[in-house]
Amino acid sequence: MSRVGGVVGTAPAGLGLVPARQLLVGAPRVVLAIEPGDRVAVTAGTAVGPGELLAERVRDPRLVDAGSSRGDRATPGEWVPAGEHRRGGATPAGELLFAARGRRRVVAGTHPDRLDAPVRGRVATIHPGAAIELEVEGVGVPASAFLGDAVHGRLVILPAEGDARPALDVNLAGAIVVFPGRVDAETLIRARAMGIHGAVVVALADRDRRDLAASEARQRAGLHRLAPFGVVVLDGNLRRPLAGPVAAILVALSGREVGLAAEPALLLAGRSMDGLPLPPPDRVRLRGGADVGAEGRWLGPAGSRRFAPGIQAEAGLVELDGGRVVVVPLGDVERFG
Amino acid sequence: MTGPAPAGARDAASSALFATLDLGSATTAAALVGWVGGRWRLLAAASLPAGSDPDAILTLLCDRVRVADPGLAGTLGLATGPVPAHLPRFVVRTARPPRIAVVAASEQTREQLEAIAGRAGWLTTGASAARHDPIEIVCRATRAGIDALLVGTADPPEADERSLMEELVAAAGAVAVRRPGIPVILAGALGRSAPVAAGTDVGVPAAGDVVLAPGPAAGDPAGSDLRTLLVDVRAGPDDGRRALARSAGSLARVLGRRVEVVDVGVSGAVRIVAAPDASTPAGVRLDDVDAPVGALLALDGPGTIDRVEAWVTIGLDRARLRDRLAELRLAPWSDLAGDGAPIRAAALRAALERLLAAGDPLGGAVAPDLVVATGAFGALPGPAVALVLADVIRRAGATQLGLDTARLLAPIGMIADDAARDARVAELAEDILLPLGTVIVASGARPGRPAGRVTVDADGAAGEIDLEAGGLALVDLPPGQQALADLRFRSTVELGTRGRHFLVPVAGGLAGLLVDLRDLPGGLPERPDRRRELLAGWERALWPERSE
Repeated sequence: MSRVGGVVGTAPAGLGLVPARQLLVGAPRVVLAIEPGDRVAVTAGTAVGPGELLAERVRDPRLVDAGSSRGDRATPGEWVPAGEHRRGGATPAGELLFAARGRRRVVAGTHPDRLDAPVRGRVATIHPGAAIELEVEGVGVPASAFLGDAVHGRLVILPAEGDARPALDVNLAGAIVVFPGRVDAETLIRARAMGIHGAVVVALADRDRRDLAASEARQRAGLHRLAPFGVVVLDGNLRRPLAGPVAAILVALSGREVGLAAEPALLLAGRSMDGLPLPPPDRVRLRGGADVGAEGRWLGPAGSRRFAPGIQAEAGLVELDGGRVVVVPLGDVERFG
Repeated sequence: MTGPAPAGARDAASSALFATLDLGSATTAAALVGWVGGRWRLLAAASLPAGSDPDAILTLLCDRVRVADPGLAGTLGLATGPVPAHLPRFVVRTARPPRIAVVAASEQTREQLEAIAGRAGWLTTGASAARHDPIEIVCRATRAGIDALLVGTADPPEADERSLMEELVAAAGAVAVRRPGIPVILAGALGRSAPVAAGTDVGVPAAGDVVLAPGPAAGDPAGSDLRTLLVDVRAGPDDGRRALARSAGSLARVLGRRVEVVDVGVSGAVRIVAAPDASTPAGVRLDDVDAPVGALLALDGPGTIDRVEAWVTIGLDRARLRDRLAELRLAPWSDLAGDGAPIRAAALRAALERLLAAGDPLGGAVAPDLVVATGAFGALPGPAVALVLADVIRRAGATQLGLDTARLLAPIGMIADDAARDARVAELAEDILLPLGTVIVASGARPGRPAGRVTVDADGAAGEIDLEAGGLALVDLPPGQQALADLRFRSTVELGTRGRHFLVPVAGGLAGLLVDLRDLPGGLPERPDRRRELLAGWERALWPERSE
């Protein structure tokens, strides 16, 4: 017997043969990357809310000699305040990278960029110059990839339409926008320019990913102060419809404050799983083949079958929405766990 | 396959049935092996995407045994119900390869260390004090996804390395503090250096967290000592690729033949060369290279997509090919059918090229007696696997080809005792290896003219085929069929030895006998459409369903 989404029932035959796609993660722990020289503004155990400062990011870090380390018990990663050389020169404040040959080597620089908490949570651990780990008070929707920076904002779902360049207006500034249909790099670059904080896309082609990264690199090279912008890719690279159960969760979160994080790639929401819509256990989706993206009901295993061109594979029977029953390789089926 | 050793007696203490599980990063493979008619036999096997419940797969296999032979199922205790809880299991695991940050004083040492780590199953991220500033070194080594740190110099250190040793040790300490818990391996002279002895003054972690390792040149061959240590740090006791090497050794001992096993997985790859050698205590000489760079979808390196594109036999633009391969990385079992199959075949060829390059000169230029393919090869039809192997493994000579279709080899490698494992391999050899056939690769025939003739004599029935330089001749020779191939060339060719006339014993298989006079990959046309047409022609000959 299983209980999923409030429904009690017997698991259909052979459902364990179908790989499960995790739909929700409870109280995830996310890692926010920082680098040597970034100034951490919180301590372990601190409770933070979305948008609260976690660290100030160093721009153009440089290594400076901060004087003798003899008799100094400072360990790498500690913040060294500004001081004076014995010879009279001033040394800027910065993070102790390490001490070698009796000298302290400090990473210093200006700190124009912010790293904000993407969601409500508690700072679990801080590894100076490497990572801040945040325990999220809420749930995460797993994604396949993340591009850009951790962000937060109100979740807005755009209408699903065939146009790759949907209408974006200034009302969406500060929001995290779901693009249920086709999207390209130009649309995402335009979204960032309009002050949109982040995007949730179903799929993004490799060329668009590289174009987006190149656009951001160009702006950073110009020393512009960039507002953070993040993109989570829910599926992969090839265009397909948004999975129904994921769409239902996004609709339930619509209008609420959510965050995006990179490690692991998640859409984060500061609420519990209770009340979020979950599909019945036999709900499956095809992630390959002629009916890619179609959803339906798992009927059971169909044995070892031969598929064109001469491929022998374990197969399953799926009744697609609309009533058509198909025999598909098990590798093309996913359920929602 | 020919010549398995006599079957050993069944161990009275063992069960009459056992299961094998190969839990990979992309695939869960399960098999049931039972004691039938006085010997061990493969009863049922299935491979499914990772994430499938292993018990559900074993239950499926039990059902199949029941349907096929209810009497046998009853004898083996499988008459009813799910898979028995007490069923003995041999289980191996292969995870995604971990990543090690390699930091060295000089670029030369970094390259050496990265090459060694790359052959020990690690992905690498490198930096050197000669090329990168300390901030960049620490940043690279503390990135998310780094699982260990290897810092080293030559042993003894080169002149330009000595002055950088203290800074390197300090950088290692800086990384260890920022990433607590990751193994820090100090290789070569660095581990004995004064800064390490001084320890905490430069932030080096406590001695217990540091592994002192041999230098990049230690061992025979050079680097083997460090490689062994790096394998030990990476692999657990149930590591599938280590177990596979043990089984390859057993196969070589049992068959008395030079065996090469190539396992290309979605995220890892290993190539093992095992040859009987009475002068060694184990009776076998075993060399292997565990190179994630040879994985099916290790496509981040320079030129890797180019090589896949060079082997693709369907029309697909480069951007689309990138996206299809990226999708495969996310869901390796998706699009198994349709045009996903030739894309996989092309990716397999490119991966095998990288694996061979990473292991060079492992095994030398001599063709092995038997090549066994496993891992992602199992997703293709047998004859297509034979062609992939023939396309890429270009060593002159005659080689039998087999496919570990049930993925039994690695789990059986979990039997620790050599003699017990050898007995199990001997009994199961015919079930482990799906015979694909024999490939004879001859090089040096003059291009553009008839090269000679092959006469195949099987059980007194002889057939003749003309050979053409640059061509691939196929002789139908079914599985289990033994034959003698009489090859007569018009000019001197290389076929293990140089000559014009060769008599070669061959064994049949799903692909039959392949007499391969092609010049690959150098002889392929530059123009993509012509290259594709030529490759597709060979593919259709062995894999006719491709053109349906």
